[in-house]
Amino acid sequence: MKVEFTPEQAALRTELRAYFDKLMTPELQAESAETMGEGGGPLWMEALRQMGRDGWIGVGWDKELGGRGMSPIEQFIFVEEVMRAGYSFPFLTTEAVGPQLAAVGNAWQKKEIVPKILAGECLVGIGYSEAAAGTDLAALKTTAVKEGDEWVINGQKMWTSLVHFCDYVWLAVRTDPDAPKKHKGLSMFLVPTDDPGFSYTPVETLGGVRTNATYYDNIRLSEKHLVGELHGGWKLITGQLNSERLSLVNVGPTSQFFNAAVQWAQQTELPAGGKVIDQPWVQMNLAKIRAGVEALKLIVYKQAWAMTQGQLEMADASAAKVYGSEFFIEVYRLMGEIVGQASMINADSEHGQVLQARIERLYRTASIITFGGGANEIQRDIISAAGLWMPRASR
Amino acid sequence: MDFGFTEEQQEVQNLARKILTDQVTPERLAKYDEYQELRFDRSLWAQLAEAGLLGVAINEQYGGMGFGYTELALFIEETGRSIAPVPAISHLVSAALPIQKFGSEEQKECLLPAAVNGELLLTAALMEANNEDPAKPQLSRAVADGDGFILSGSKTCVPFAEQADRVLLSAATDKGVVVLLLDPRAQGVTLQPLKVSTYEPQYQVLLDNVVVAASDVLVNVEQGAAAMVWITERTIAALCAHQTGISDQSMRMTASYASERKQFGVPIATFQAVGHRAANCFIDVECLKLNTYQAISRLNSEIDATTEVMIAKIWAGDVGHRVSYASQHLHGGMGIDRDYPLWRYCLSARHNEMMLGSSASQLAALGQRIAAGEAFCS
Ligand SMILES: Cc1cc2nc3c(=O)[nH]c(=O)nc-3n(C[C@H](O)[C@H](O)[C@H](O)COP(=O)(O)OP(=O)(O)OC[C@H]3O[C@@H](n4cnc5c(N)ncnc54)[C@H](O)[C@@H]3O)c2cc1C
Repeated sequence: MKVEFTPEQAALRTELRAYFDKLMTPELQAESAETMGEGGGPLWMEALRQMGRDGWIGVGWDKELGGRGMSPIEQFIFVEEVMRAGYSFPFLTTEAVGPQLAAVGNAWQKKEIVPKILAGECLVGIGYSEAAAGTDLAALKTTAVKEGDEWVINGQKMWTSLVHFCDYVWLAVRTDPDAPKKHKGLSMFLVPTDDPGFSYTPVETLGGVRTNATYYDNIRLSEKHLVGELHGGWKLITGQLNSERLSLVNVGPTSQFFNAAVQWAQQTELPAGGKVIDQPWVQMNLAKIRAGVEALKLIVYKQAWAMTQGQLEMADASAAKVYGSEFFIEVYRLMGEIVGQASMINADSEHGQVLQARIERLYRTASIITFGGGANEIQRDIISAAGLWMPRASR
Repeated sequence: MDFGFTEEQQEVQNLARKILTDQVTPERLAKYDEYQELRFDRSLWAQLAEAGLLGVAINEQYGGMGFGYTELALFIEETGRSIAPVPAISHLVSAALPIQKFGSEEQKECLLPAAVNGELLLTAALMEANNEDPAKPQLSRAVADGDGFILSGSKTCVPFAEQADRVLLSAATDKGVVVLLLDPRAQGVTLQPLKVSTYEPQYQVLLDNVVVAASDVLVNVEQGAAAMVWITERTIAALCAHQTGISDQSMRMTASYASERKQFGVPIATFQAVGHRAANCFIDVECLKLNTYQAISRLNSEIDATTEVMIAKIWAGDVGHRVSYASQHLHGGMGIDRDYPLWRYCLSARHNEMMLGSSASQLAALGQRIAAGEAFCS
């Protein structure tokens, strides 16, 4: 047991930090602010391709797959740093879809799609949720029916984020309506977003994050668009969600945010004299955040390490997701308390300061991942069953 | 970065777990309730010595196994898992380890082999009334007397003071802090037994012009305060390891009880509210364990660990508290029935929570470090 980074890992982090200092130009930062941290703008696209050309997106991937052959720990350090730098990294494509395609994809997917993903030239959105299938995802109704050599896809999805600038939708559909268990009748398809049968309408959310309702109208796809086994979609969904969970609770942005808040509190004068940070209750709030960040860091690092050992435990992935998502909410509250009512001043306003505006926005987005990415109730069910061997009621 | 255990570390864990699960039964623990007997299982202590575990972090030249702090802390975690009635932390971590680190060759030869084979008992007096910082003693003063010192003042909650052969303690002098090895039977020492909820033998130690010979000065004024920081951080991390063992065991006891116990015709574990409270314990225990392992790993490498030790202790206090009450609650009345083993775990968790800085006081100290710019995230 040696919990610290190796010297090589520490050096990699230093290198990446310098790299992103340069990559995140003021212009790119301004564009990111406009897209509410979702990315998709031209500078954002170009930066992603740059990371691809520089061999970062697949740093922890095997060399045969086009990576640099380092381990999941190095991959994780990269993702932490890119997110820490404030770049809205398309981790669903690179960390969740990409590895699945590399593992179970057909020749076309492996030769055409995977290299493009590692080059930053292909983006994939996730199409699972439907209006009536949220937490109970296996109840989804969108269908794919085989007609001759082709699959014909029909249905509607809800909350299909990022697709307005993605190349494909990673679409979960029902292929066997007669399967005795509803999750056994699902399959996964890569649906091109330039297909004439595909369309979407935007959905705006509280945090300013845009997502979409998507429509699939007689989309005809050849067999090569099917991912993995027919009716084997559930395994891909749950596998994808496991990796998604780890990225959702990435610690990089929060570490950086904490440091920025400390510096702000150290420098900001109180009108009655002294600095904001001189107040004991401010120190207490910051200490609570600091202790919590450390736990999150260790939880996710341990999982990155477990991946190098091929022993990622389901209960641990769920624990990370629950802890991280609920901790973030707490962080934004504790931070908000420190700046008080000014934590509600919006970035668009003349007096909105960088730190305050960030708290203002994060506070509004924080609830998404307690129910998204697999609701925390389901994660707690998984923890008590897989981590503590407790029986659970059937659903 | 490696969260796995080496073969040697697994051997220490397995050896300790085997001896402790065999020997520490609820029936044996019951003998110590209400101070019926002194809470010190000497035959178990002898077995641990026999197995080499008392010397796990002591160099081979003094009869030890020659491993490091990590292996020692993993052994301590096992003593927590079984709430073993032995003075493992006070003897091994707070006293033997510092003697090995700071002692003269003579002190090491005289004390360590006997401490490793169990013939000699060591302890440490780290607490003063309303003062939890052993590196800044307020109520114990020492005055130079030739190469030795004359010691006066008081310490409180000193474990095994009466049974020990030497008590490591710090005292303030005009020139700085000294670390001394007190003979509790020396003239001028009064030991007043305390009664505490864990039934651990603890004493109020009153010191009235006690002569401490030069041979019992462990660290002199130049390095005394720094040495006490070294000792305190290792003791705190050991308390966290002990708390990890306790919390993990309480949680697992609770999970299996909830899986067996039926109400409304079904195991209570199948109620989502029950499963989720247990899941919260799982997350909590993971946070405590990982922060503890990080602190241990850094201390083992002798790199700065002040922030990490504070954070581990904050988690040890919070998690110990939350898991203790969740376990009691999910057991219903059985959780506090003295014929069922859980309640002793709860009391022991409370001891670790309160010793050497509660979560609140550690948070305040961490807050000061943050304000001073000493605890940024890496
Ligand atoms: C901004 C945003 C972006 C999103 N992006 C995507 C995306 O890209 N792709 C995609 O497919 N989806 C996406 N989603 C959808 C998201 O995954 C769903 O919101 C989520 O699965 C929850 O489903 P629901 O909203 O229908 O809530 P419901 O399933 O109706 O849940 C409501 C509440 O009931 C609780 N609940 C449900 N079942 C149980 C149970 N068995 N036990 C206890 N409690 C239960 C839930 O925990 C929750 O608190 C996004 C959502 C948002 C808001």
